[in-house]
Amino acid sequence: MPEPPSPETWQTLFSLDKRPADDRQVLTRQLGLWCAHRGIAGAAVYATVDSGPELQTVKPASVPGFDRIASVGEPPGDDDGWPERIDEGGAAVAPSAAERFELPGILLLHTPPTRAVDAGDADLLLLLAGARLSALKQQIQEQSFQAKFRGVELEALYDVGLAIASTLDLEELCEEALLRAVSLLDARRGALYLFDGARYVLTSRFGGEAVAEVPGTAVDSEEVSTGAVRTVRDWLPGARHVLSVPVEIEGNPRGLLMVADKESRRGVGPFPSTDRRTLSLFANQAAIALENAKLHKLALEKERLEREMELAAEIQMQLLPKAMPEIPGFEVVGWNRPARQVGGDYYDLPGLGSGRWGLVVGDVTGKGLPAALLVSTLHSALRLLLDRMEVGPGLIERLNRHIFESSSANKFITLLLATVDTQDGHLAYLNAGHNPGLVVRADGTTVQLDSAGLPLGLLPDRQYRADDLDLEVGDLVCLYSDGITECESPEEEEYGMERLVDLLREHRNEPLAHIIQTIDKATIDFACELPQGDDQTVVLLRRTA
Amino acid sequence: MTESLKLTIDEKRDGLAVIHTEGYINNQGGEEIARVAYQLIDKGQTQLLLNLAGTKIVNSIGISILIEIIEKMLEIEGKLAFCSLTPTIEKTFHIMGLAQYAGIYPDEASAIEALEAS
Repeated sequence: MPEPPSPETWQTLFSLDKRPADDRQVLTRQLGLWCAHRGIAGAAVYATVDSGPELQTVKPASVPGFDRIASVGEPPGDDDGWPERIDEGGAAVAPSAAERFELPGILLLHTPPTRAVDAGDADLLLLLAGARLSALKQQIQEQSFQAKFRGVELEALYDVGLAIASTLDLEELCEEALLRAVSLLDARRGALYLFDGARYVLTSRFGGEAVAEVPGTAVDSEEVSTGAVRTVRDWLPGARHVLSVPVEIEGNPRGLLMVADKESRRGVGPFPSTDRRTLSLFANQAAIALENAKLHKLALEKERLEREMELAAEIQMQLLPKAMPEIPGFEVVGWNRPARQVGGDYYDLPGLGSGRWGLVVGDVTGKGLPAALLVSTLHSALRLLLDRMEVGPGLIERLNRHIFESSSANKFITLLLATVDTQDGHLAYLNAGHNPGLVVRADGTTVQLDSAGLPLGLLPDRQYRADDLDLEVGDLVCLYSDGITECESPEEEEYGMERLVDLLREHRNEPLAHIIQTIDKATIDFACELPQGDDQTVVLLRRTA
Repeated sequence: MTESLKLTIDEKRDGLAVIHTEGYINNQGGEEIARVAYQLIDKGQTQLLLNLAGTKIVNSIGISILIEIIEKMLEIEGKLAFCSLTPTIEKTFHIMGLAQYAGIYPDEASAIEALEAS
């Protein structure tokens, strides 16, 4: 039996404790010395943070939570390493060490066949365990702490992912990503910048000042995409160590996420290279948030516009006659279909008193909301003027000035205003740049109500001329907008006035509603049902008595 | 320039003090909490409640200092509790094992009630 270790050997063992070496290395050297001294073929120490399982049935390598913290020599046991049972392969254990020093661990010894495990082995093991206990425990706790903190990191990424799925507030999400990155990387401060096409704009910051914006021209995009922006320390005044990564969308840098000054108990220092990957994960989350928020903003804007258009359409519907007026000796029908929800076409059939009625068809340049607003202006102004003035060039000239003053330079209105006197069938009309109205006489001949002036709103002081004619029984008047005659076929041919004249001639004796339906069907057929970009309006008046 | 942690101390009665934090619990913040906590312990306070309502984030250095305070409280057989944590910090404390040794309560009133009952 070998002799117990000499006092010199002990000295060697314990002096190792004081050297600033890695604890595992120290323990491995101690085990090596011990095995050499005691004639042991190999040894290994296992430890776990949680309470150990039954030692007699342990196969250490297969037990989760066990970590082989030091070993020397050949492992005992069968081919795959360590024994099924502790007492196999000539191994000794020190459960008492675990109990006494609250070190949940085991030590395996591999003794040669010529040598059995003896009490000296166990005693030495206790001493060894005791001497190393404090350092080991601290090391294990540190490892456990780091492992747990990786768990926090995963949870944080998961949480940020969930937050992105549940909210679309970009600023909130960016701040969340930044705060998580700062805390998980033990940074003292950080900032998130987003690129708006011209500048990197500070979106979130934590722990210190950050410049509000950096011109895009001052930053090399190559440097951004590699996360190696040379000037980045200037972005966080006073920062000593900055780690930055790009916020990328489809490979294009859209911002920078940066953290600064990695903390330790001793102060602050640079970030290890492994932190770049973690920071990139948060930058990716920010990128997804950014993309989502952008799409959401677009969707909201679209929704808002649609709501506005619906409202505008409702308002515009109020401007059109709700019912066709009863005009003694005449029948009249108006019809309008905007190309969009709201349009730039307008018609009105105002009663003018003394047996006179107005027929109005107007067309504002453009479509949609801007056109609809001008239609509304036209409607109010015309109704007011009709109340106060006789229909004639003076009224149209006043209207022209009003439209000129209340519309932008590129907006104008074509207008055909006709009045019919039910007493004598006299039709007077003023055409300000509008498509020629049509009169199809009972005998099939046609007269055009041509334009005699510029559209309203183009120039402030224009003069207009009134023309007139007399309507006989059976005569049909058709006022329309260019949405009818400029309706296009797939070959880009226009429907044109001739086709409209032919149609009116052919159907002039049919009920007015039926003629409207026929015009509608004819233009749809002509366009092969292709959607048309312009509003369509038709007003028909026929003298019946 | 950094935003440092601000602390306010509310000594409720003999043995119980509440420390309100405002800011980042990092190395500096953690050490400030530890300094104040040890002063209170030296004065004889055996129950400490950390109200983190004003704290959004805590890093690993801050957590390790909080663990040291917990260990100190266990040594003197006192009690440390936390209240008003953000969901993120509460989750972190659970994962890091702080919740095993220190009570976590939704608000100050329930924390004080639990400490008084113990």
